[in-house]
Amino acid sequence: MLELKRTLDAKGHGVLEMPSGTGKTISLLSLIVAYHKAYPLEVTKLVYCSRTVPEIEKVVEELRKLMDYYAKQTGAKNDFLALALSSRKNLCIHPEVSSLRFGKEVDGKCHSLTASYIRAQHHSNPSQPVCQFYEQFDAVGRQVPIPPGIYNLDDLKDFGRRKGWCPYFLSRYAILHANIVVYSYHYLLDPKIADLVSKELTKKSVVVFDEAHNIDNVCIDSMSVNITRRTLDRCQTNVETLQNTISRIKETDAAKLREYRRLVEGLKEANVARETDMYLSNPVLPDEILQEAVPGSIRTAEHFVGFIKHFLEYLKARLRIHHVVQESAPQFLKDIYEKVCIDRKPLRFCAERLRSLLRTLEIADIADFSAITLISHFATLVSTYSKGFTIIIEPFEDRTPTIANPVLHFSCMDPSIAIKPVFGRFQSVIITSGTLSPLDIYPRILDFRPVTTASFTMTLARTCLCPLIVGRGNDQVAMTSKFETREDFAVIRNYGNLLLEMSAIVPDGIVAFFTSYIYMENIVASWYEQGILENIQRNKLIFIETQDAAETSMALEKYQEACENGRGAILLSVARGKVSEGIDFVHHFGRAVIMFGVPYVYTQSRILKARLEYLRDQFQIRENYFLTFDAMRHVAQCVGRAIQGKTDYGLMIFADKRYARADKRGKLPRWIQEHLTDGSLNLTIDETVQLAKYFLRQMAQPFRQEDQLGLSLLTLEQLQSEDMLQKIAQIAQQA
Amino acid sequence: MASLSEEVLLVVKRVRQRKQDGTLYLMAERIAWGPEGKDRFTVSHLYADIRCQKISPDGKAKIQLQLVLHTGESTTFHFANESTALKDRDATKELLQQLLPKFKKKANKELEEKNRMLQEDPVLFQLYKDLVVSQVISAEEFWANRLSLNSVEHSLSNNNKQEVGISAAFLADIRPQTDGCNGLRYNLTTDIIESIFRTYPTVKQKYAENVPHNMTEKEFWTRFFQSHYFHRDRINTGLQDIFSECAKEDEKGLKSMVTQGVKNPMVDLLSLEDKTLDEGYGTATVPTTSNSSNKSLRENSNSAIIKRFNHHSAMVSKAYTPLDRHQILTSLFVAFQVKLQEAIEYDDLQGDSGRKTISLNLKKSDRYSHGPIPLQSQHYSTSQDIINSISIIQHEMRSYKPRLTQVMSSSAASSAITALSPGGVLMQGGGQQTINQLVPTDVQSELKHLYTAAGELLRHFWSCFPVSTPFLEEKLTGHLEEMLQAAYNKFQAWQMRRMMRKT
Repeated sequence: MLELKRTLDAKGHGVLEMPSGTGKTISLLSLIVAYHKAYPLEVTKLVYCSRTVPEIEKVVEELRKLMDYYAKQTGAKNDFLALALSSRKNLCIHPEVSSLRFGKEVDGKCHSLTASYIRAQHHSNPSQPVCQFYEQFDAVGRQVPIPPGIYNLDDLKDFGRRKGWCPYFLSRYAILHANIVVYSYHYLLDPKIADLVSKELTKKSVVVFDEAHNIDNVCIDSMSVNITRRTLDRCQTNVETLQNTISRIKETDAAKLREYRRLVEGLKEANVARETDMYLSNPVLPDEILQEAVPGSIRTAEHFVGFIKHFLEYLKARLRIHHVVQESAPQFLKDIYEKVCIDRKPLRFCAERLRSLLRTLEIADIADFSAITLISHFATLVSTYSKGFTIIIEPFEDRTPTIANPVLHFSCMDPSIAIKPVFGRFQSVIITSGTLSPLDIYPRILDFRPVTTASFTMTLARTCLCPLIVGRGNDQVAMTSKFETREDFAVIRNYGNLLLEMSAIVPDGIVAFFTSYIYMENIVASWYEQGILENIQRNKLIFIETQDAAETSMALEKYQEACENGRGAILLSVARGKVSEGIDFVHHFGRAVIMFGVPYVYTQSRILKARLEYLRDQFQIRENYFLTFDAMRHVAQCVGRAIQGKTDYGLMIFADKRYARADKRGKLPRWIQEHLTDGSLNLTIDETVQLAKYFLRQMAQPFRQEDQLGLSLLTLEQLQSEDMLQKIAQIAQQA
Repeated sequence: MASLSEEVLLVVKRVRQRKQDGTLYLMAERIAWGPEGKDRFTVSHLYADIRCQKISPDGKAKIQLQLVLHTGESTTFHFANESTALKDRDATKELLQQLLPKFKKKANKELEEKNRMLQEDPVLFQLYKDLVVSQVISAEEFWANRLSLNSVEHSLSNNNKQEVGISAAFLADIRPQTDGCNGLRYNLTTDIIESIFRTYPTVKQKYAENVPHNMTEKEFWTRFFQSHYFHRDRINTGLQDIFSECAKEDEKGLKSMVTQGVKNPMVDLLSLEDKTLDEGYGTATVPTTSNSSNKSLRENSNSAIIKRFNHHSAMVSKAYTPLDRHQILTSLFVAFQVKLQEAIEYDDLQGDSGRKTISLNLKKSDRYSHGPIPLQSQHYSTSQDIINSISIIQHEMRSYKPRLTQVMSSSAASSAITALSPGGVLMQGGGQQTINQLVPTDVQSELKHLYTAAGELLRHFWSCFPVSTPFLEEKLTGHLEEMLQAAYNKFQAWQMRRMMRKT
């Protein structure tokens, strides 16, 4: 709180690490809301970004609680407007559209009902179907402000149903005057979307990135492009469709093209209600977009299509290679100029140009044109940025050198590019998560200067987490997932024995993480052959994460069911997998987490290598340092999933002797590190079992509220007493 | 015909029994046969009495169906209608196949229940021995009274009876043993078979289809263990394998489970991400389209194992999850709200809102809290008694005045003390030795048994009043008297024996 207040006072940025379940969200919310109430002119808006849909909803629910408390204590009526924004899939109430299962289908269908020209057609031809919810909203929704309150996704839907308004557009519109907005990272970080959704947010906002340990990857993802041969083929058909449409329109309706010509010639687009046209916006950041007229060479539709065709042919030729090529953006531009005489400037306008063309041609199903859009974005990106990107063309996958599958990776290496405008635009940006250690690396790779960086620990009345590093099996063979020994029979057997022993003593749920899918598959197979799995099955049910998300969801649900009814279960999962990043294992859903090996990324990937080089050259971060950091943040994520607050408890077992080294251990979050004793750095399986048994027995004792009082829980009187405050200040000093 | 009130499920004409033509009737509760032209059944079996049915092999000239009863007797029917004999027989067989298990279960259940009661209650067991085995009263009478007595408790315990789950490792528990001559021997118990059926309904279905008419039970299980279905590389199941269909069914089941989706949105990985990245953006490698083809066989079988484990565990956990739990969860919206609330609640910050717990359902709670202790009668004095007596003594002590003139001599006093201390003259016969030490244990137990038996008979006797039905009247006037007489006799015999022993 103190640090947060300082950050807000200084109007700067902050990095805060707080263990999950200790009230991170509610403290952030309550302070910022209070700040906003006290200085309504200094902080006008809170933008809270989280990662997953359940997280977003959780934040809104917490906020609702806070506001209820405000209302109860002050008696004043709440005049706050807070709302969540999510994709159409989560907000649509149109009976037909919302029944679709995939986000893309929903978007496409919605677009085909609400695009501006469809609606225009509807005026002349009432049989053209439109979405009545949007029509309603468009007719009256904008004049009447949405009454103050807290709107979660479901509340928005309810409200929309009552009024007959489209909740998605309502919420898109309402975020402009809402006090608090809760949405996903992408709405702020991805320039293609941010330009549409978050363009008009005021500068005096506080932005919070929660669960931000992966924020650099989100930034990079939003700026990177992959092009395969399939993309090019689809693009080819797109170009043909465009050509046909243009020639057809030319015959029938020359006026339309004329109108479009006017648009092209640098005239600002008439700002009609175009919000429903979901063309992706320009992929580059706002300050890089050229504010000049489109160059003459691509000004007419035919010329532009021809230009794209040229470009496409060039890309096809580039993909027809037999060896790996890696080059920078300027090299690529030079090559393209020499070979097909394409200039840099028209390339920069590609995205913008295609957008206006698609709009004028009134093409309904925009999802079909994703390939050509992708290509145009690539063109714009590659010609805009000369630094921080790399182009890698791989003719085949490393594992299957005989099968040609050329891919062009246009990969962003510098996460600071995407997040820079956010830091520049908003007065305070708070980056927070349960696991952000080591704290100094985030400011470095995101290239910003925080006012405060702090890592907090939990004040515990009992040590409810028990990190143990298992380095050896009972036969003294070192346990490690190191590449040289990972196929070793003894290592696999020892891992199996560890899991078997733990399954016998840990109640309810155990979650085990492997370093990769392939490794997990191999280990599971050899455990099966050795009969270890059979023995584990005697103790618990086994569920395994697969690469199929739906299948994994089912396994997860069954896993929780088995934990719930006391049967007990084991979930075998993968670090960096979907489970490790989105699912919490509260209380009995995860009494122990076992981390088999250190989850390094696949270091042979060329993209990663390029990125490491870039980091070394630009930010003076050594390769090894970054790799270890990346591995350890995933480890922390995995093991942190089991501890959700101080009433929870769980074992954290690191099954690799390399964890004992200072460079690994030192990168764990402080709240885990401080419980890692020197005695538990290199245990055998037997010793682990002993320690775990002792720990579990202790934890199983009843834990009452009185035990926490004065330590990790304060009564109102205690909170108001001077002594206590001093004591707390002391603890805070020590920390 | 004799019993038109009964529902007749199937009538087969021209069925011979003991060289006599007749008609076979399959009714709701029994199977009956009556000779041609007569309106009564000469053969009638309740389904519950039938242990199994056997049929003649296909190639044989006579098309027969044999019913084996629990008692060991058997009845053979010969289907004599030339043109439709086989069809008739099969129809009968099919119907019987459906009907028999139902009754079997019912009969078994009752038997089991009786068995359980006898095992749980040694007193009852003794009573049963005394009254039924020695044929004082019939077994039905004995149970008629008992079961109804327990029916309340019974139905209660039956309602929330906990089904025993399946061990997850049941397949692993079937350890093959080598039989010495190049073969393997699997030991199957009914428990294991039950587990297999519950976990893999498709196998059960196969079993019902094929046993007993296509193959014997043994053959079925041999095939099962030989089948790839049982083994891990299921993808290679051959066509000739009867279980290849099972594997496919399982696959389908798994798929349908997957497509059903999950009810708890907190674990639904599909809707977790609010991702707006389009295909082609991002650094994540593009999934190759030819995924399955370039995977090695080993990788394929590895992922098959994983799939199989997931399926197995899901089936095992499904086998003991009561269905209504799912129905509760159907209200998706509410469930999600609850989950959300749960997720943001800190239980240590809440007031003491009593957490929902499942109360321990114990039949005999004292047994749970005290542990097994020998049954003994004890006389407890209440605390009030003790306080009273203490105050009385205190009162007396206060008013006590030693009359020093009338004391005993010291020698008399010491002899009195020795006489009163343990081992002394006065302490030998008295309160220390109770009746249960005097009488030998066998006599005691016999007495106890007689007492309970007589009590039970008397209970039967009194329960006949008021005499409301002719059956009760008959019971009262008829054999109850005999019974009591039998009891008297028994008592007499015992008395005699005792007398003999005494003399």
